[in-house]
Amino acid sequence: MRDVIVVGAGGGGPVVAKELAAAGLDVLLLEAGAHHTDPRASWTHYENDANNPLTGFLRFGPSDRSKPAWLREEPQNSYVLQVAGVGGTTQHYYGNSPRAFRGLFAGYEGPDRDAYDTEHAFPFPYEELVPYYEWVEATLPVQTAAMGTKEAVFFRGAEQLGIPVQTTKDTLHASYRPQENAILQPGGTAGRTTDPARLHYPQATGCTYCGFCLQGCMEPIRAPRNQFAKRSTDNSYVPMALTAAAWSPQGRNATLIPDAFVVKVHTELRDGETVATGVTWRDGRTGERHREDARVVVLAGGATETPRLWLNSGLPNPNGWVGRGYTDHFLDGVTGLFDEDTGSSKGPSSAARCDFPGRGALEGLGLPPAMQAFIMALSDSGIRGRYANGRGMRGPWDGRSGRVLGPELKDALGNGVNRLLNILILTGDDVQRRNRVLLSAFPPDEHGAVPKVVLDGRARTRRTVGNREFLARKATELLRRAGARRVYRFDWAPLLLHVHSSMRMGRSAADSVLDSDAESRWVRRLYVADNSALANSLGGPNPTLTTQALATRTAEKIFIEHFGGRPWVRDGNPVVSTDPRISRALR
Amino acid sequence: MDRRAFLTATGLAGAATAPGPLTGVARAAGPADSALVLRALTRLTADTMSGLAVFVLPGPDAYSRAQGTPRREPGAIEAGVPAFLVDALNRYLPFPDQVAVPLMRALVQGAGSLSLPAPREGDAQAGTVRRVDAGLRRLLENDATIPLAPVVALLLNLEAVRVDPLAVGGPFLSPFARLRYARKARVFQLLEGPDPTLVAILDRHLPEPLRGSVSGLLKFLAGALLELTALGSYSEWAVFDPQTRRLRGRPVGWRICGYTPSADGWDEHRGYYQGRKQVTG
Repeated sequence: MRDVIVVGAGGGGPVVAKELAAAGLDVLLLEAGAHHTDPRASWTHYENDANNPLTGFLRFGPSDRSKPAWLREEPQNSYVLQVAGVGGTTQHYYGNSPRAFRGLFAGYEGPDRDAYDTEHAFPFPYEELVPYYEWVEATLPVQTAAMGTKEAVFFRGAEQLGIPVQTTKDTLHASYRPQENAILQPGGTAGRTTDPARLHYPQATGCTYCGFCLQGCMEPIRAPRNQFAKRSTDNSYVPMALTAAAWSPQGRNATLIPDAFVVKVHTELRDGETVATGVTWRDGRTGERHREDARVVVLAGGATETPRLWLNSGLPNPNGWVGRGYTDHFLDGVTGLFDEDTGSSKGPSSAARCDFPGRGALEGLGLPPAMQAFIMALSDSGIRGRYANGRGMRGPWDGRSGRVLGPELKDALGNGVNRLLNILILTGDDVQRRNRVLLSAFPPDEHGAVPKVVLDGRARTRRTVGNREFLARKATELLRRAGARRVYRFDWAPLLLHVHSSMRMGRSAADSVLDSDAESRWVRRLYVADNSALANSLGGPNPTLTTQALATRTAEKIFIEHFGGRPWVRDGNPVVSTDPRISRALR
Repeated sequence: MDRRAFLTATGLAGAATAPGPLTGVARAAGPADSALVLRALTRLTADTMSGLAVFVLPGPDAYSRAQGTPRREPGAIEAGVPAFLVDALNRYLPFPDQVAVPLMRALVQGAGSLSLPAPREGDAQAGTVRRVDAGLRRLLENDATIPLAPVVALLLNLEAVRVDPLAVGGPFLSPFARLRYARKARVFQLLEGPDPTLVAILDRHLPEPLRGSVSGLLKFLAGALLELTALGSYSEWAVFDPQTRRLRGRPVGWRICGYTPSADGWDEHRGYYQGRKQVTG
């Protein structure tokens, strides 16, 4: 019998594991995918090898790459771009760590309150989350991003949008700024040389500007795992959880089992209540099934897998909201072609942003060529100049929105992958009941019925659509003012990178799965600590930091409620994840 | 007649008689007719994927010339994209046989009711068509493992002859590969639509619980095919050695867009915006 079992070692699960291991609990962390313990021995920086969603080492599939990826049914033009393995999708994330917009929390009374999806607000005020934000920001740590050429070009455009620069963590109004990134600032020779011989730790520390955030971070060369520049959880929270005894006075090292796909959550009736008692997982290497029990179970498999596991376990769903309310920032992309070097494929992949509270956000998006081609070939507006699929929006960009393919794609990329600038559009999108995860009628795989992700890009609320159009215009204006001579807008089909709120917490028991402590409304001792627990899409800001802050709060709630502990965040001092005691304990 | 029209229109009958090397999908040796069909499917699939690859990245090859967009610089054929697509679809796209095989069966059973162009003089001989027909029936009745790439190839070719009936004959094995660029786009427009005629026919011939899933499946496939082709076209796949994890040459896509990575870092540090290294509050 464990104290706590955490299902999933992605962006959120390791946060709960680390906090509770630091508090001295016996924590088991289960991860369906691989544990890449020595990235230099098994990774490359090549895009197909890393990012091919079917075959790459950063895919959603088993650790044995000779086996197919895991199936999701998507009954529309869309792509769920999730990553399995220790670190989860943070392995390929950009480390962007903005706080949420305040208008998406209970009690917000700002003059722009009608601009937000207040019907689906968080069940507590923004101010309550701030200490947890500060705790996570100090732990990862989150730091102001340094600039490269592409940021200089981005800011040249942003400075002409008539909005101020933001110099706080909290976003209060429309503004632009360098990203607050979970990436260590460059030190020593990092960012100042291309010579690999001079990019060894500790001569180089932090971000070396390699440009491979999307391929997983293993820089600088020979750095201890917890000193790699990007603070994906495999480099930050997981090492902390596994070494808690080394840096926390009462700490107890958590146990991590990779290749452990949880297929069932067990419950029993206790005093008339359904209570979680443990889980069964399938070992991906042997096919064997194992069961362990725990006092508390925390689900953190992501916004698609957590509802799937819930439904496959036959857990209660009395209001039908399990899997519903799936939000995705209705992402879109805009690309400008320049006649100058933009350094698009170099440096931390996203280091500059604009925020428009009530609308969403824009951020720079640096990419190497294959992913650049991928994002230009993704659209719900057909193929530019050929067909528009009933869409093909017109605006300040050149021509209609749509895929750039064939000769046009070759000409655009022939202009130079480092002579373009991408802007990612993060739409503040509304929670909608119809967007959801359910169980597919396709044949089940070895883990049970597979998830079916239903997300109709054409049936968004008027506010969501309006926000996206506003942002696409702002992004185009930024690019033009920065000097772009041609601007493409793609009108992406749903690219499911930022996914949230499919097991949402909420004020109303009628349209939420979790209460305000992130505990399930219908199964006691069962919590959710991934993006699916978020009440909404935060209004557009990237979700990982808020999920991690919320997971920290959830860990504290669990410790107080079930283990008689005391809170630690308000009065404690967080240990930074780069602490040398962790490095030593990892050896 | 309908069966013959289907087998001819998809290019399968022609592929059964065509000479040429075999690579890729054929794996089950069985009765002679089934083996004939598997070989034909393999050839047809490779040809169709070539037509798709150059649609996303044209080059100096015959397929690009046929679609009317030849280019001097290397393209998807030089980047090995047809083989990339066959490999990805067959081995890694996690579509279970329980989906691919019924889909193939529904195509074979239902396509006869599409108005397909009649076989022309000089198309595959009646005897060959009969053998292909018999072999295909046997394969499908025996629940053979049919990977996804041939199913996709048949879909693309079937839509190709509906877009342009003249594509039933010409160079290459694949009617899709014979289309001009604009007509290939029309095929994707139909798939993404999705083509209500095709959806209705397939749904009618699919067993429960798959019935009703065709519309979404076609929309997903159309998008995924184009995105995956773009990814493969500009990636290192063709020159990557998985044993050494090194490249055997410079990828075509890198040459096109002037990309040269620096494996471990760039001298790109330009300081901090307005000199500010941290913010609070």
